[in-house]
Amino acid sequence: MDSSLILLMVLSLFLGCGCWLFFMWAVQKGEFSDIEGPKHRMLDDDEGPDRKDKKC
Amino acid sequence: MPNLDPATSVNRPSNAMAPPSPLPLSRGARGTAQGAAELCFHCGAAIPAGILIVERGAEGTLSFCCHGCQGAYLLINNAGLADFYRRREWSDPGTAIQPSQGAYHDAYLSRFVYSSANGSAIDIIIDGIRCASCVWLNEKILGRLPGVLEVRVNYATGRARVLFDADALTPAAIFSRIAEIGYLPRPYTSSAAKEGARLEQRDLLYRFGTAFFLTMQLMAYSFALYAGYFQGIDLQMKGYLQLFSLLVTTPVVFYCGWPFLTGAWRGILNRAPNMELLIAIGALSSFAYSVYACFTGGEVYFETAAMIVTLILAGRLLENSAKRRAAGGVERLLGLCTGQARRFQGGTLETVDPAELRSGDEILVGPGERFLVDGRIVEGSTDVDESAATGEALPILKNAGDSVIAGSSNLTGAVRVVCEREAAESFIARVARLVEEAQSRRAPIQGVADRVSAFFVPAVLSLALITFAMQYLSGAAFGASLMSALAVVVIACPCALGLATPTAMLAGTGAAALGGVIFKGGDILERLSRVNLAVFDKTGTVTCGRPELIEVRAAQGIHDRELLSLAASVESGSLHPIGIAIREHALANGIPHTVGNEVKAVAGGGVTGKIAGQLVAVGSDRFLRESGVCGVPDQIDAPVGGLIVCIAQAGKYCGTVILKDRMRDDAPELVSYFTRAGIPTLLLSGDRQESARQAAAGIGIGAGIGGLSPAQKASRIDLLRQEGAIVLMVGDGINDAPALSAADVGCAVAGGTDIAIDTSDLVLVKPDLERLAFAHRTARRTMSVVRQNLVWAFLYNVIGIPLAMTGRLTPIYAAAAMALSSLCVVGNSLRLLGARRG
Repeated sequence: MDSSLILLMVLSLFLGCGCWLFFMWAVQKGEFSDIEGPKHRMLDDDEGPDRKDKKC
Repeated sequence: MPNLDPATSVNRPSNAMAPPSPLPLSRGARGTAQGAAELCFHCGAAIPAGILIVERGAEGTLSFCCHGCQGAYLLINNAGLADFYRRREWSDPGTAIQPSQGAYHDAYLSRFVYSSANGSAIDIIIDGIRCASCVWLNEKILGRLPGVLEVRVNYATGRARVLFDADALTPAAIFSRIAEIGYLPRPYTSSAAKEGARLEQRDLLYRFGTAFFLTMQLMAYSFALYAGYFQGIDLQMKGYLQLFSLLVTTPVVFYCGWPFLTGAWRGILNRAPNMELLIAIGALSSFAYSVYACFTGGEVYFETAAMIVTLILAGRLLENSAKRRAAGGVERLLGLCTGQARRFQGGTLETVDPAELRSGDEILVGPGERFLVDGRIVEGSTDVDESAATGEALPILKNAGDSVIAGSSNLTGAVRVVCEREAAESFIARVARLVEEAQSRRAPIQGVADRVSAFFVPAVLSLALITFAMQYLSGAAFGASLMSALAVVVIACPCALGLATPTAMLAGTGAAALGGVIFKGGDILERLSRVNLAVFDKTGTVTCGRPELIEVRAAQGIHDRELLSLAASVESGSLHPIGIAIREHALANGIPHTVGNEVKAVAGGGVTGKIAGQLVAVGSDRFLRESGVCGVPDQIDAPVGGLIVCIAQAGKYCGTVILKDRMRDDAPELVSYFTRAGIPTLLLSGDRQESARQAAAGIGIGAGIGGLSPAQKASRIDLLRQEGAIVLMVGDGINDAPALSAADVGCAVAGGTDIAIDTSDLVLVKPDLERLAFAHRTARRTMSVVRQNLVWAFLYNVIGIPLAMTGRLTPIYAAAAMALSSLCVVGNSLRLLGARRG
C-alpha cells in the first residue's frame, strides 16, 4: 500500500510541476500584463477586420 | 466640465502655420444657441453658447461642441463603430488634452519605430483611455487603417503596440488617426527604470506563483500529517510525508522568500531590525525546527514557513501593481516639452526637435501651441496661459521683449520667439530636477511594523538564548536544548505578527479605492494618519481654476441682460477663458445672443466685433479708452483677484462685468474637517499675496502665503518638516509637483496635471475634496485596526512563549493556535472593507 501511495504522491508532484511550468510560461509570454482588458474584449461581438473584408 | 483651455480642444482646424501676426481665433460655426446647455454627443462636454454644429445621424440630430468632435464622430460612424457611444462608460465628459496642434512628423516619430518579426512596430501611449470601450475603439479604428497588421491596446497601462507595414503606412498617419478620434498619442520610450520596474513585477509574479503552487502541494501533505496525528499513522509513511513536505518547502523559503532573506540581511547590516527580519526569522526558525524534527521523528511546521512567505508575497504583488499604475512622473513632465519646434532658417521654417534648439535660435509658436523652451518674444504679441508655471488662472499679455516660460501655452496670436535657454535648461526641466531631488531626499519614515520589529526581534532572540542556556545548564542534551530555543522563536514569530500590518493596509487601500481615493502604497495610509499639518494650493485646488462672472454693472439706461447679450455675442466663438465665462453666464441665465461679425481679438486688450452693424468692444478699461470709447469711468473698483471687463457699443460705454476665480463649494467643509480633527491648515500659492490671503480667509484656512515659485513652495514645505510637522500637501498643477514630492504625503486632485498625479502619494479620482476627508478617516481607521492586530498577536505571544520556554506547549496546540491567530488578524483586517464614505 505504501508504494502505491508514494507513487501517487510523486505523480501529484509531477502534475503540480506541469501546472507550475505552464504558469511560468504564461508569465513569460505576458499573459498577466493586462488582466483588465480581455474580459471586455471577450464581449466584442463584432467581426474582426479580416472577416469584414471577405464579406465585402 | 467642458474643456476650457483652448489648447485642450481636439484637432480644431489648425491655423498654426499662419504668419507671425496677432490672429483672430478660429471661429466655430455660425448660428445661434439658446436655452439649456446641450451636451456634445462625442465628448459629453457642455456645448459653449453660440456654437452649433449639428449632424444628422441614425440617432436623429446630434450636436457637437467643436468641429473636432464632429470630425471624430463622422470618422467613428463611417467606420461602423458608432456602437462606441452606446457602450462607453464615461463618468467625466471631455476629451484628452491636445498640447500641440502641430502635425505629427515622421522624421521625429520614426526613431521610435523598431522592427519586429512581422514588420515594423511602434509603442504608443494613448492618453484619454478611460474605459474598455476606448480600448475597443482605438483597436478597431487603427485596425482599419490600411497597412496596420495588428493593434493591441493594454487597458491597464493605456499603451498600444501597433504592428504595421512601413511601406504602406507612416507612423505619423497612425498618430494623426488617434488624435482625430479625440485621444492624445505620444511615443512610448522605454527607460532603464521603467524596464526595471517591469522586470521586478514579473519576478515577484514568478515567486508568488511558485510559492502558491508549492504551498498547495504542501497543504495536502500537511493534512495527511494532521490526520495521522489524531488517528495514528504508520511511522514510515509519516517519514515519507515529512520528506515530501521538506522537498516542496525548501524552494518556497529559499527561492520565493529570497527577497525577505536579503532584506533581513540588510537590516542586520544596518543594525536596524525591520519587518523583513521578523518574517525571515519566523520562516527560517520554523523551517529549521521542522528539518530537525523531520529527521528525529518530531512534528513538523513546514506549512507555517511556507504560508507566511506566500501571504506576504501576495500583499507585495498587489501593492506593487498599484504603485506601477501611475509611475513615470518625471518623464511625463518632460513630455510637455516634446513635440516639434519650427525654427526660422534663413527665410524658411524647418521642423526640429526641441532638443536641437540652441540659445539664440528663433522659432515660431502659433496660437494653441505650447512654448517648448524658455525664451523672449521678438515679434508679435499674444495672451499666454502661464497657469502651468505660476498657478495664475488668467492669461497674461506678452509683447515683444517679454519672456515666456516653457510649458505655458500660447492662446491668441502667433509669435516669433528667440530661445534663451536650451530645452535641457528650461523651466520644465528645472521643475523635473526639483521633483527628482525632493523624491530622492525623502527618507521613508519608520513604519509601525518596523518599530515593532526593532524591539521585538532582539527580545525574542534573547528569550531563545535564555531558554537554551537554562535547559543546557539544567542538564539537557545540546540538541534538545537547541530545539527548545527554536520552539520559542517559532511560537514568538507567528504569522499573525507578520500579517498584522500588511493585511490591514491592503484592506484599507482597497476600501479607499472603492471610495474613489487611490493610495500608492500601504505606508501612505500610515503617514496620512499621522499628518499634523495640511497645506493647500490655491488655483485649481481650493478654487475652480477658471474665472466666473460674479458681478454685472450696467451703465445708466442699459439693462443687465442687454449688456450680457452684447458681450456674449462678441465672445461667441472665443476660446479665451473670459469669453467662455461670459457665455456660460449668459447661457445659465437664459440670455439669448447672436454671433458677431468681423470679430477681431486683440492680444491683451479684448475683442471687437460688429452686431447689427454697430461696433461692439469687450475688453479692459484701458483697451476701450484706447479704442476711443467715451464715458469709461476713471476708477473701477473690483474685489481682490477680480478682473474687470468693460463693454462698449458704437463708441459708447455700456457697462462692466467682474470675473473671479470661484472657490470650490466643498473647500470650507474640508477645512473645517481638518480643524475638527485638530490639524492646522495653510495655503501656499503662486498667485499674489493679497489674493492668497483672501482665499485663505474665505474658506477658513489659518494662513495664506502668496507669490511663491515652485521651488519656494517645496522649500517652504521642507522648512515646515524640519520644524517637526508631518505635512500633507494638496495640489493640482505643475507648479505644485516639487511641493507634492517634498511633503510627507502629497495628494493630487483629479483633473489636475499628469505630473501632479504622478508625483503624489494619493490621488482623488474625482475633483471632490470631500474624498480627502474620507481618505484621512480611512487612514486613521486602518491604523487602529493595525494596532488591534498587533495587540492580538502579542497576546498570543504572552501566553505562548512561557509555555514554549518551559517545554509545555505540545506541537498540535501550537499549530492550531498559530492558525487561529492568523485567521483572527486577517478577519479583523477585512472589517475595513466594510468602510464606506460618509
